[in-house]
Amino acid sequence: MEALQFFPSSFQPARQAPLETPKQYSWSPYENNGGTTIAIAGKDFAVVAADTRLSYGYSIHTRNASKLCQLTNKAVLATSGMQADQATLHKTLQMRMITYKQTHRKEMSATALAQMLANTLYYKRFFPYYTFNVLGGVDSEGKGCVFSYDAVGSYERTPYSASGTGQTLLMPLLDNQIAKKNQEGKEVTDLTVEEVVRLVKDTLTSAGERDIYTGDFVDIAIITNEGITYEKFELKLD
Amino acid sequence: KIQIFCHQMSILQHNGSSVIAMAGKNCVAIASDTRFGIDAQTIAFDFSKVWQISDKLFVGLPGLLTDSQTFSEKLKFRVNMYRLREEREMSPRVFSNMVASLLYEKRFGPYFVEPLIAGLDDKNEPFISGMDLIGAPVLAKDFVLAGTADEAMFGMAESLWRPDLSPEDLFEVISQTLMSAFDRDAISGWGAVVHVITPDQVITRTLKTRQD
Repeated sequence: MEALQFFPSSFQPARQAPLETPKQYSWSPYENNGGTTIAIAGKDFAVVAADTRLSYGYSIHTRNASKLCQLTNKAVLATSGMQADQATLHKTLQMRMITYKQTHRKEMSATALAQMLANTLYYKRFFPYYTFNVLGGVDSEGKGCVFSYDAVGSYERTPYSASGTGQTLLMPLLDNQIAKKNQEGKEVTDLTVEEVVRLVKDTLTSAGERDIYTGDFVDIAIITNEGITYEKFELKLD
Repeated sequence: KIQIFCHQMSILQHNGSSVIAMAGKNCVAIASDTRFGIDAQTIAFDFSKVWQISDKLFVGLPGLLTDSQTFSEKLKFRVNMYRLREEREMSPRVFSNMVASLLYEKRFGPYFVEPLIAGLDDKNEPFISGMDLIGAPVLAKDFVLAGTADEAMFGMAESLWRPDLSPEDLFEVISQTLMSAFDRDAISGWGAVVHVITPDQVITRTLKTRQD
């Protein structure tokens, strides 16, 4: 109002507050259900393990959810990240295993499976599976193999791998104990199944201490040329 | 020239550093990497984040390195004044409380450091403690650590540490923990220094590490 200009500024009403800055409310299709997975390749075997806790924020959905998926009798896949995408991914892969077996009249080799998983993940490059995979098994030459993946299918064959919320806790220990990094004069030797399983149990116990999303139980799969055996191991429930 | 990034990196990750302190049988050890960097650029590889406060008292100050330097000078000043007035050394427990108070004084404009304190008290009992940047302390019996490779160090330390380590074993454990952990961190590393404090002496060793 023009009348206002005759008042000293101290009597003028405060200017109207500017319209509130636009707030962006967004819904994310992704959530991280936590958990840690690990896979180590030996000379003629592989060990794949994952904890079984499913979390959401600071709560626990369940203490007993498997992250492992046996795809053939020579390969096991462990997947952490979002459980919905993990379940769908496992289902999709299992369907494709059956199709392959019916078309080719043989089981898929671990290396072929590794490539197929990469292709499946890249197929959803622009709306990815929120999954962090490690694949472990024995290849067609009978040697242990481990493949590690990112969410969109970039993969590499490695001697050992860890992924999930405990990844940063576990990888340095595997570097130190398997590849003997930073240890002068120590030779890298082949580890036995018992040594690898003990290492897996120790590393996951340590991860369970300091990572809130890792705990409850651990499923361990030991893959050899003879077949696959499973073990269950307890972690702290806190 | 200060680079402007389009996404905000935490100020505690501007320089990059990793420090760890561990307790053994009648001894303590404290170690840090020696990289001095600004974002992705490495400037120097002889910048230790562990400062000696008195004969048997060390403090590690990972975080923003300008604050690490300045805050260590403040602490040395306070300990020196205490020694002049009281005519005795400040014990590690008292020092730890003092550090916590000094940090909380700056509660709404903190020093960007996460101190770790390691020392032997006047009865040669091991003492370690750590705190966050505003002075919330933790008194641990095993180990304390901080820095950009903290998660990596946790995994290593939980697995490798055991109680009642001798000075030689403690040196091996703390060195392996630190080195394997910062090798998985892009902004820590470029050398390491380890101090092992026993009732008789302090042994300082520089480690041969990957220079990347």
